[in-house]
Amino acid sequence: MSQPTALLPSCERRTARRRNYGPLYAAPQTLWLLVFFAAPLGIIVAYSFMRKGLYGGVTREFSLDAYRALANSSLLQVAVRTLLVSLTATALTLLVALPSGYAIARSRNQAMRLFLVIVPFWTNFLVRIYAWIAILGNEGFLNDALRALGIVADPVQFLYNQWAVVLVLVYMYLPYAILPLFSTIDKFDFTLLEAARDLGATKLAALRRVLLPNIKGGLVTAVLFTFIPIFGAYAVPLLVGGKDSYMLGNIIADQVTKTRNWPLASAISMTVTALTGLAALVFLYRMREHAEPSLGEELLPEPHAALATFSDASHGASGSFTGLAGGAR
Amino acid sequence: MKASGCAGRSIVRVAAFALAFGVFALSSCAQKNAGKKLYIYNWTYYTPDSVIEKFEKEYGVEVVYDFFPSNEEMYAKIKAGGSDYDIVFPSGDYVSIMIKEGMLAPIDKAKLKNFGNIDQSVLGRCDFDPGNVYSVPYYMGAAGIAVNKAKVPEFERSWSIFGRKDLAGKMTMLDDMREVLGDALKYKGRSVNATSDADLALAREVVEKEWVPNLLKFDAEAFAKGFASGEFWVVQGYAESVYAELEPARRGDVEFFIPKEGGPMYIDSMVILKGSKNKDLAHAFIDFIHRPEMYAEFVDAFGFPATCNVPARALKKGPAWYTAEALEACELKADLGAALEKYNAIWQEIRVGK
Repeated sequence: MSQPTALLPSCERRTARRRNYGPLYAAPQTLWLLVFFAAPLGIIVAYSFMRKGLYGGVTREFSLDAYRALANSSLLQVAVRTLLVSLTATALTLLVALPSGYAIARSRNQAMRLFLVIVPFWTNFLVRIYAWIAILGNEGFLNDALRALGIVADPVQFLYNQWAVVLVLVYMYLPYAILPLFSTIDKFDFTLLEAARDLGATKLAALRRVLLPNIKGGLVTAVLFTFIPIFGAYAVPLLVGGKDSYMLGNIIADQVTKTRNWPLASAISMTVTALTGLAALVFLYRMREHAEPSLGEELLPEPHAALATFSDASHGASGSFTGLAGGAR
Repeated sequence: MKASGCAGRSIVRVAAFALAFGVFALSSCAQKNAGKKLYIYNWTYYTPDSVIEKFEKEYGVEVVYDFFPSNEEMYAKIKAGGSDYDIVFPSGDYVSIMIKEGMLAPIDKAKLKNFGNIDQSVLGRCDFDPGNVYSVPYYMGAAGIAVNKAKVPEFERSWSIFGRKDLAGKMTMLDDMREVLGDALKYKGRSVNATSDADLALAREVVEKEWVPNLLKFDAEAFAKGFASGEFWVVQGYAESVYAELEPARRGDVEFFIPKEGGPMYIDSMVILKGSKNKDLAHAFIDFIHRPEMYAEFVDAFGFPATCNVPARALKKGPAWYTAEALEACELKADLGAALEKYNAIWQEIRVGK
């Protein structure tokens, strides 16, 4: 009776093949996220509900001390300051990134320009901060130049204040805004602008009412990619900030490394994560809701599309940047 | 407590050490130690490579040297059971914590021929480990103030320098609450380990009202770089950090002093962890450090006075940034236990600023 079964398999195998292998294919990624994202997050959540150990670490008893300690005027003050710095830096980043993305999308030499945007990533983050110190310092290049040109007699204090923090943050996160903006602007059909002009719109009105709504997806991604990391900034305020530049990231670091209060550090982190996560969700949701229906799905690129382009672009940095422009299209 | 390493510099040093110790130290003598490794956990660049190389050669072992930038980080790592180190270099307050937590092995002084070289007055100050049952002093020092004399020709050797309005925006203090609050306490004639609310309120007022308005920032990472570049004229910090950044030709323009009122002081000690697998070798290393010529080599590398080792004072060749006598007015930082919380609360409000 082995004959008939021998005839069956090929078709049986075909039906078996149609089983959903998705979870299996996604297993490496799922495992990765579990180990390096979910587990650490779980530890932070757990620590935030424990009592602090006298010499660092935690003692394993349930406690809400850390969350009670959040209601503290100086913490609130730092939170407000962090929010202001992040909003300013994000706004300025977008202001610079939007024309840059536009220029790159419209240029004939996209690959080269994108390559130049990525080049700074080749240098270590800290080294680039120290480079800014060398440029902006009282004895730095900029002050030397200003003095040599006779514009100022005494050095200008550029460093160690909030503006230095904002400037360096804008510099650091600019590529994260340019790349998603570029990728959406690049997909935009520029003949729409001509159509708008033909219908009587001024140049500015055409950009504002036709281009901007069409690149919303890129804008959302750019905002998320700059605002969230800037909100947690730590090294930049530490190195180029002044005595009034203490940000949430610094408080968290100090609670872990100096004042031995791990639960408080965890509670602050949790609150920040929850708030930024919530804000991002609301932001995404509202952007979608306000999108004019006439735009159609193709003209409102999803943030994840820009994200994919972005990761293409970062791969490009490590080698074949010629494939980068292609990937963006 | 040694300088919390400069982020930039430590990277270079890690690389340098990786190169130095990537090569096995081969030796013909001391065959019994062949292939053995001694694991040392120390402050970022606190023992010169040359001293470690000599130890490796003489004992025919390999020394693995890891760094920590702060006591807190060192403690957290060892407490988590992360590594099997033989020798660690904690500051006094952490020696007492580690004894309390049962993390240390007793020191067998019979194995330390050079223990007698250690200054009696330093041993007398080891309140964190009376009788040095678990720890051997490595270095006693204090943070002080470095002044750029080209910019600030006249100054008083006192903490009051941070109250000078004419130097506003040109001065930094360490981003370290025990140091800054301790300075203010000493300045007002109190103990650096004060825990009474009145004393702490007084210290807070000095820092907030008199000093902070004139400070550019609190900086424990890059103060020496900023000082060397001429950006900061007066910095509170560690001599060895200032020394490392300054070109030798410019050292004449700089004065480093420990303020006359004194300040918080530290004794960094060598301790052997309970779990050490090479206790004999660890004792040999501790003894090696206190050979007068080795100790002299160590302190000369950092511009230190030979605070702990008496015979090394005669062998020392280089100048020191400050003298052992300058430390007499200083006071050792003790572990404050739960009272640390008061310092935390005050410090956070100072750091938040306006």
